[in-house]
Amino acid sequence: MDIYDKLRELTALQEATKLGGGIQRITRQHENGKMTARERIDVLLDEDSFVETDTFIKGEMTDFTKADVVNLGEGVVTGYGTIHGRLVYLFSQDFTVFGGALGELHSRKICKIMDLALKNGAPVIGLNDSGGARIQEGVSALSAYGDIFYRNTLASGVIPQISVIMGPCAGGAVYSPAITDFIFMVDKTSQMFITGPQVIKSVTGEEVTTEELGGAMAHNQTSGVAQFLGESETETLAMVRHLLTFLPQNNLDKPPVFEDAPPEIEENELLHVVPIEPNKQYDVRNVLNLLVDDGDFFEVHQHFARNIVTCFARFEGMSVGIIANQPAYLAGCLDINASDKLSRFVRFCDCFNIPLVTFVDVPGFMPGVDQEHNGIIRHGAKILYAYSEATVPKITIILRKAYGGAYVAMCSRSLGADVAVAWPTAEIAVMGPDGAANIIFRDEIMKSEDPKSTMKQRTEEYREKFANPYIASAKGLIDNVIDPRDTRKTIIQSLKMLSSKRESHPQNKHGNIPF
Amino acid sequence: MKYKVTINGKIFEVEVEKAVESKDWARSASKQVMQASINPVKKYKDASSSSSEATSAEETIMSPMPGTITSIKVTEGQKVEKGQVLCILEAMKMENEIMAPRDAVISKIMVTIGTSVKAGDRLFLL
Repeated sequence: MDIYDKLRELTALQEATKLGGGIQRITRQHENGKMTARERIDVLLDEDSFVETDTFIKGEMTDFTKADVVNLGEGVVTGYGTIHGRLVYLFSQDFTVFGGALGELHSRKICKIMDLALKNGAPVIGLNDSGGARIQEGVSALSAYGDIFYRNTLASGVIPQISVIMGPCAGGAVYSPAITDFIFMVDKTSQMFITGPQVIKSVTGEEVTTEELGGAMAHNQTSGVAQFLGESETETLAMVRHLLTFLPQNNLDKPPVFEDAPPEIEENELLHVVPIEPNKQYDVRNVLNLLVDDGDFFEVHQHFARNIVTCFARFEGMSVGIIANQPAYLAGCLDINASDKLSRFVRFCDCFNIPLVTFVDVPGFMPGVDQEHNGIIRHGAKILYAYSEATVPKITIILRKAYGGAYVAMCSRSLGADVAVAWPTAEIAVMGPDGAANIIFRDEIMKSEDPKSTMKQRTEEYREKFANPYIASAKGLIDNVIDPRDTRKTIIQSLKMLSSKRESHPQNKHGNIPF
Repeated sequence: MKYKVTINGKIFEVEVEKAVESKDWARSASKQVMQASINPVKKYKDASSSSSEATSAEETIMSPMPGTITSIKVTEGQKVEKGQVLCILEAMKMENEIMAPRDAVISKIMVTIGTSVKAGDRLFLL
């Protein structure tokens, strides 16, 4: 036996590993409209950049394992590579091997790359396609999950963690993605749930399909568990690549800077995009289109709590996180879901040195017994907490309405906005003119012979006197009132001015955000 | 997914399954394809749900929030296009446009001008 025989042996082993669970299972995976673990890695990473770790790992057969089960690589492919030339670590569960079920060694492979990612400060991407815990291994499989959850938590806020659900992800397995920063799901071929349709039917009698219960749309629109939805596997993986262009490698790094690409707009377009009447609706995304580089922003939670828009974008090549009230949905009110969406986004940006730009046009918090009883107080508090806690540059632009508590919550000066400006259309006041007139002039209105006209007159008076940006600017609550056409310039100047911002809070273990 | 279909006044319950096609892109997926697929949508005209497809199934348009109907822009039997404004719901001092989620025919209007509605109240039947 010479060295060439040894090499042939190695090659044969490599080839066998590449096939995972065998040709038959690979074909079945393709028939289901899904790629294999390795094909997904090829699409996600830069060409030829993937380096595999623990290629030949193989568990011992247990009493319950069928002898003919192919189990090369323990059902997961792990390693590292580059995306747009930047290092990332990843694991990709292989459904063709043991249904991608997670056991002790499977978990150990994942933990190894997570440890490396944490030590080297680079993102971790998990491509999930797994039937769940490997029952044959018993409690070891459970502790194997625990090892991953623990690392997910330690890595939170240190390196970006991204989960892509590309098949089933059920039971305890859902909690690793849930701890990570972002969840992508593929429409129609991915599902997440704690208990499946059969268990639900036997316990509560509710009948529901897997897709309705835990499909991509269910989690993107209704539960808010997932932030991104891709039409196909390729599109989903392309979205992951796109997202990473906005993010730094770790919490000590800064996001990459791109070339300036001003949006192509007509000169006065910005003057007409927000209706001057405070009761007319419009899509705030049409404002963002006119301001950000290339008119291109990447929405997070596009389908969930649409009364607030959260997205990544760039100004003169610099990454920012944008938060904007959406008057076109639920009048742009802040409610429970919007609070969750907004505060988690703000905290992510703060973790990773991404400046916050907030566009305000908010009538208030959503009224209703339902909202109150479901805890809008403790949920809404998260917005105030997250904004106050954030030490990244904070820029606030008030487009139109900014009333009451919601005005304070939307990154007002008092919550630490570094730059706060308003458009001349802004109405910054303690409450809407109707409500205010009703309280201030209550006696007069009640005593009046024609209460309605007195009310109307007083409301107009109040609107003229107080519903403008100049009272707030006189008190220094906003720095300036700007021509809407200067908005992009103002944001860019502010970002540059704030690029060396240093701010720290009193030392503590961690704050106690109201969950 | 189950749908109720009305034909000549009779209601049929039908089940529609999505056929899974074998896709060969899985093998040939190239980076070029990916780059092309991330072109962003530039303008958002329609803030309401974009996922519903044109179907003949009945659908109820519900009020998203408590408020008052101040104007109704359609009549029963009228054909509407996706994104067309059906009525104005005044809530939180805002005139909220309630839009058609898809191309459809208005089969019933369940509110009148001045009606106060709660979140989840039925407005239209498509």
